[in-house]
Amino acid sequence: METNTAAETPPGVGLHKRRKHLTVWPYIFALPFVGFYIAFQCYPLIYSLFLSLHDWNGIGSKAYVGLQNYVTLLTKDPLFYKSLFNTLVIMVMSVPMMILLGMVLAYLVFNLTKGRMLMQTANFLPYITTPVAIGFIFSFMFDWQTGIVNMLFLKLGWLQEGNYWLMDPWWSRVIIAMMIIWRNLGYFMAIYLAGMTAIPQDIYEAARMDGSTGPHTFRTITLPLLRNITVFLIVTSIIGGLQLFDEPKLLYGGWTASTSGGPDNAALTVIWKFVNDSFITGTRFGYGSAIAYTLFLIIVLFSIISYRLSAGKEEKA
Amino acid sequence: MKILKWGFLSLITVISLFPFYVMIMMSTYYSEDIFKGIPLLPSNYFLSNLQTVLQTDFFRVYANSMIVSISAVLLGVSTSTFIGYAVAKFQFKMRKFLNYFIIITMMVPAQVGLIGYIIEMRNLGFGNTLLPVILTWSAWPFGAFFMIQFVRDTVPNEILECARIDGASEPGILFKIVMPLIKPGLSTLSMLVFLWSWNNYLLPLVTINNSKWFTLPLFVSTLGIVHRTDYGARMAALGLATIPLLLIFLLGSRTFIKGITAGAVKG
Repeated sequence: METNTAAETPPGVGLHKRRKHLTVWPYIFALPFVGFYIAFQCYPLIYSLFLSLHDWNGIGSKAYVGLQNYVTLLTKDPLFYKSLFNTLVIMVMSVPMMILLGMVLAYLVFNLTKGRMLMQTANFLPYITTPVAIGFIFSFMFDWQTGIVNMLFLKLGWLQEGNYWLMDPWWSRVIIAMMIIWRNLGYFMAIYLAGMTAIPQDIYEAARMDGSTGPHTFRTITLPLLRNITVFLIVTSIIGGLQLFDEPKLLYGGWTASTSGGPDNAALTVIWKFVNDSFITGTRFGYGSAIAYTLFLIIVLFSIISYRLSAGKEEKA
Repeated sequence: MKILKWGFLSLITVISLFPFYVMIMMSTYYSEDIFKGIPLLPSNYFLSNLQTVLQTDFFRVYANSMIVSISAVLLGVSTSTFIGYAVAKFQFKMRKFLNYFIIITMMVPAQVGLIGYIIEMRNLGFGNTLLPVILTWSAWPFGAFFMIQFVRDTVPNEILECARIDGASEPGILFKIVMPLIKPGLSTLSMLVFLWSWNNYLLPLVTINNSKWFTLPLFVSTLGIVHRTDYGARMAALGLATIPLLLIFLLGSRTFIKGITAGAVKG
């Protein structure tokens, strides 16, 4: 990068003209992105912030209410806290499992002599599946009367009668966590695999010379070198997890269409509540924007905390 | 130990593939028969289910999804490539700023501005078209970030300099020299945009009200609610909806996985 300016100015070749090219063109190349960003991302962000300070149903006139929407959300809306709680619970159930299973899987696949690509491809398939399909398949599998899970458990004698999985608050959260794990495991594995491949082989060579064996090598060499990847995965899955919407909505939006939010709102996530309040059960655009911005602040907070925690660990290590 | 290892790997792989299998099997059943047992073996109702699906607006919906995904790929990948090339290979005043700008915007969740975006689209008269679902990809921070890295790592400065000395125009250099060099990056990014725009559910759900403009995820989630819930037909529709993704993925799984993991391993 640094050599860009100095090295390549050949003597006598239309210096002035070249300079002009170099100064105009990068702006022209950057312009479409910046223009579109300002028009379709930046403006909506500012407009939403503006709306969050107003009371507006989308049709009538906007009434300025100051921070009232935020105050209502944080003091008079227990459902918001419930949705935040649900989101966090589902995250706590899914993220550690994905990290653990993803790492173990990657380790096992990494040491395979053949079939590595096949394993990776097969396990990556859920990640590319349409979430609608995942929602249907899971709600079918866990259905009370007809689900495969109940049928299997009954046949094996583990249950006396079919369990109403999707109508139980805690089971519904567990099932959503399972959907997330099922969908993302291949992605986590692929990332860990790439990380393991990036570790230079001579380190392992040296470890073997020193008499280190499988599990020991994994614990003392592989694991510390995968630390950055783990931090990346945790931070991104926390950010993504706080925006959870597709899985719970599609688990309950498909064939059990009557329940919004799952049993006792146990599956209602923050984004689902946001979508409900602003588009489905009402058109409270101001209030909805306030939910969105509050969630944004929570995401920023969580990112900073998880980044700090991981940075702190690094100093100690 | 070896048996345990293979056992574990096979178990996970079976769990990964099982729901797909069930989906395909279910699409071969008459809806009411699905629930008589565990649908593990194919039945003979697939063609009728297919017929049910094709009698609906399935082709139009499929075309809608194709239009959305292909336009999103063209738009998103080109703006990302242009700015990526600019930031990676030019010295100019705004360069550092743009670099930080892209990294920061990558962290802003898309839903924060959602309401503002929808109102904006309505005011622009795009309310009941496919444009809101496409335009959201027009400035895609992850794509820009990815392209900066990719152009930086794969395009040697010497080639650009040689071309400039030979009197090639700047757009000419970008299209005739840089683009061929970054083909793997372009294909990875295209696959990602295609995948994510194809599967997108939230944005079409809140922006598209007219069933004429439904995309596949919306269409399938409302399919067959009117008369009777036809699960067999739904599964057939889902299977058909997954085919393009499956094809793209199987054709390019190596580049795809490499691309998707690149950011994580480097950063």
